[in-house]
Amino acid sequence: MASPRLNRRDFIRSSAAGVAVVAGGGFSGRAFAQAAPHPDWIAAKMPGKRGGALTRASAWDPPVMDPRLTQSVGLFQFAGLVGSRMVRYAFPDEVTGPGDMSLKGDLAESWQASPDGRTWTFKLRKGVKWQNVPPLNGRELTAADIKYCYEQYAKEGVQTFTFQAIEAMETPDRHTLRIHLKAANHLFVQNLAEPIAVIFSKEVLEEDGDLKKRMIGTGPFILKEHTRKVRIVLQRNPDYFDAGRPYVDQYTILSTPDAATRLAAFRTGQSDLIWLASPSEVETVRKTNPQVQVHAYHNTLTPFGVALAQDRPPFNDVRVRRAISMAIDRPKQLSTVFEGSGILGWGVPYIYYQEAAPTAKDLGPWWEFKPAEAKKLLTEAGHGKGFETTLFYYEYFPQMSSQVQLVQQDLKRNLNIDVKITKLDYTSYYGRYVEGKWDGMSWGFQSGHAIGLDERTYHYMHSKSTKNFFRVNDAVIDDLTTKLHQAPAASDQRALAKRIVDRELDQVLRMWMPYSNGFIVAQPHVRNHASAALRRTDGYGSPTIARVWNDK
Amino acid sequence: MYKYILRRLLLAVPVLLLSSLIVFGLMRVMPGDALIALMGESGNVGEKELAKLRKDLGLDKPYHEQYLIWLWQMVSFNPGHSIFTNEPIPEALKKAIPVTLELAALAMVLGLLIAVPIGVLSATRQDHASDYVGRFVAVFGLSVPDFWFGTLVITFAAIWFQWIPPIGYASFWEDPLTNLQQFLLPAAVLGFRLSAATMRMTRSTVLEVLREDYVRTAWAKGLAGRMVVYKHALKNALIPVVTIVGGQLGVLLAGTVVVETIFALPGMGRLTVEAILYRDYPIVQTNVMLVAATLVTLNLLVDLTYAWLDPRIRYR
Repeated sequence: MASPRLNRRDFIRSSAAGVAVVAGGGFSGRAFAQAAPHPDWIAAKMPGKRGGALTRASAWDPPVMDPRLTQSVGLFQFAGLVGSRMVRYAFPDEVTGPGDMSLKGDLAESWQASPDGRTWTFKLRKGVKWQNVPPLNGRELTAADIKYCYEQYAKEGVQTFTFQAIEAMETPDRHTLRIHLKAANHLFVQNLAEPIAVIFSKEVLEEDGDLKKRMIGTGPFILKEHTRKVRIVLQRNPDYFDAGRPYVDQYTILSTPDAATRLAAFRTGQSDLIWLASPSEVETVRKTNPQVQVHAYHNTLTPFGVALAQDRPPFNDVRVRRAISMAIDRPKQLSTVFEGSGILGWGVPYIYYQEAAPTAKDLGPWWEFKPAEAKKLLTEAGHGKGFETTLFYYEYFPQMSSQVQLVQQDLKRNLNIDVKITKLDYTSYYGRYVEGKWDGMSWGFQSGHAIGLDERTYHYMHSKSTKNFFRVNDAVIDDLTTKLHQAPAASDQRALAKRIVDRELDQVLRMWMPYSNGFIVAQPHVRNHASAALRRTDGYGSPTIARVWNDK
Repeated sequence: MYKYILRRLLLAVPVLLLSSLIVFGLMRVMPGDALIALMGESGNVGEKELAKLRKDLGLDKPYHEQYLIWLWQMVSFNPGHSIFTNEPIPEALKKAIPVTLELAALAMVLGLLIAVPIGVLSATRQDHASDYVGRFVAVFGLSVPDFWFGTLVITFAAIWFQWIPPIGYASFWEDPLTNLQQFLLPAAVLGFRLSAATMRMTRSTVLEVLREDYVRTAWAKGLAGRMVVYKHALKNALIPVVTIVGGQLGVLLAGTVVVETIFALPGMGRLTVEAILYRDYPIVQTNVMLVAATLVTLNLLVDLTYAWLDPRIRYR
């Protein structure tokens, strides 16, 4: 191991030269960095510096403040800083690598599942206080609070599917919560670590009738101001249970819907962090702001792909699905649309079943670009002359339209499939896509918030799940995802996850498309900042901000 | 005069009713609804629960019933709550209207300050270099869309001057300096576009008036050039200019949507666009009706201004 005593400039220089740098000793936790043009994390000298403020110009506004009613990133870009969860995933300065998805206690000190995976017992930290704001006024958090909160999640809103898995809860004492599940699920604890499973207070819900006006939690920051379409101001919670954190006194999120304005805000120092999609954007910023720190982000999955109406002809024929998949030139999309900085596309985070990101070969024969074989297969399926179909989509980001058009061209050129494209607005797209009764194709998505394997497999692929947007209806997948719930050992879980992925890829149940990796760019004074796998600091991984400091 | 105003106000009633029907109908024709927008992505909400929520919000009622309920709410000045935030609509408007009003007023002032002098200069120096420059500026202003010009302005301000207006709206009464910094650039962008058409109209009408007999008489009397142009020619040239300025108010309000988004101002434009995207029916409907009522009123005011500018015009 090399000496870790590097200053930031040395680190950036060595990383830029493509040298893997190892950190440790006087530096915080993690002991690696990516051997790439830009590191995914920059070591910071501990202890962190207290004081100062951070600001971020954000694309998103919370549609509503009630965590029961939305999973929008607009809300969870700060809700995880105000509220805590029962457990959490390790922060970037705690993990040993991108695949480290170990769970740590947030409100819980320890937890244990019964051998049959149906009963979970959580021992809570003692002395955790609600924020010192009326009507809570800093009273102690108890197991009854969490029980109440989970009951409300089960009762209404967007998390009912997760929390209705609970059969009963009991609180043997003030700091113990025992959860009994309706069926065995050894991955259940992951659902409580999801960024959206924040604990809210009984008092606020009962006084206001909803959670739309106030947000009070036990997290590192107190919500000081929320002015819609203007700003969200978070102030340091002096009573936060993780003593010494957060480092900064204030974190402000400025509502900035326009991308050019966010970039201008970053360039002029009004914003400390910015997300950039492509290497060329990064280089443009570095021309005007050469001192900025660039962190490479590594996607472990792609959220978007072609969803087919696979419950009806012609897409219920696996040969048609395979032919379409083989007729699409994914490497071309990756090199042209994403400037070579991205992934080919798969749906389950690879970190749950293998060490390194899948290569084209790993994805199997149906994911390679083989137009001649695709044509042959489609002819075998009885569609040698091609057919007409439709595809509707919402443009989540500008490159998506290019991808859609490339797919249209590939299918016409290679299979004589005429795809009529309809671009919809956000709500029209959601309405139609989620309803799941459409014909033809859609540019489908899987929700962006989920971290856990349970959510990424059972929730998104089991035929009975309400989140099965790709309309997967495969008995083998149903069986494997159920078995995954019943597998207590991590090694068995990995093996089952791999079998699920293999089955998905072989049957082309979800036709994933390439996706950008992206970069998080920070001002030179920002320290200990990074975005771990599936947890972007500017989005669902916002709790990381409590560990970031300002070295101005 | 009063009869005329009364007649115009009465005529406004069917116009507003028709507008209300159109906006109500369009919102219902659009696929998806607020609940889908709010909860759709999660996929966790079952049909039963969605039906219950629709019932709670009155979205399960027949359209004609929903329309009549809303109409009554509008007439009784109680437009209801936002479906999304549950915020009373008057509260949301109270925050958004001053922003848009300030932006529109500043844009209008800046637009006129640019348009009228350049228009007059172009006319009085027809076919000279300054005329060509003025005409080029006007054609450029008419040709470039707000979103492009606004993006260019904010990007190059950041690159060249390392400065952009402070993000995070501050009201004039709380922090006038920050407020003015925040509004000058967007108002200039909006005003520039507004000035283009006004500039061209000013130029052509001043040119026309300068050829009138009474202007020739004024020259013949030996009046100073400035007196002839500004006192005799300009005032008479202003009627078509006022018409076009009045007509541009709609364009101005549409422009605020884009400019408010680029410069992160929380005005009516952003409120309406967001409400359309999320199918927040009460907000969209109220905002559209407010804009319709504003345009009807402003058109009336423009017509009344004619009489002030030209004493020969009388309304009966």
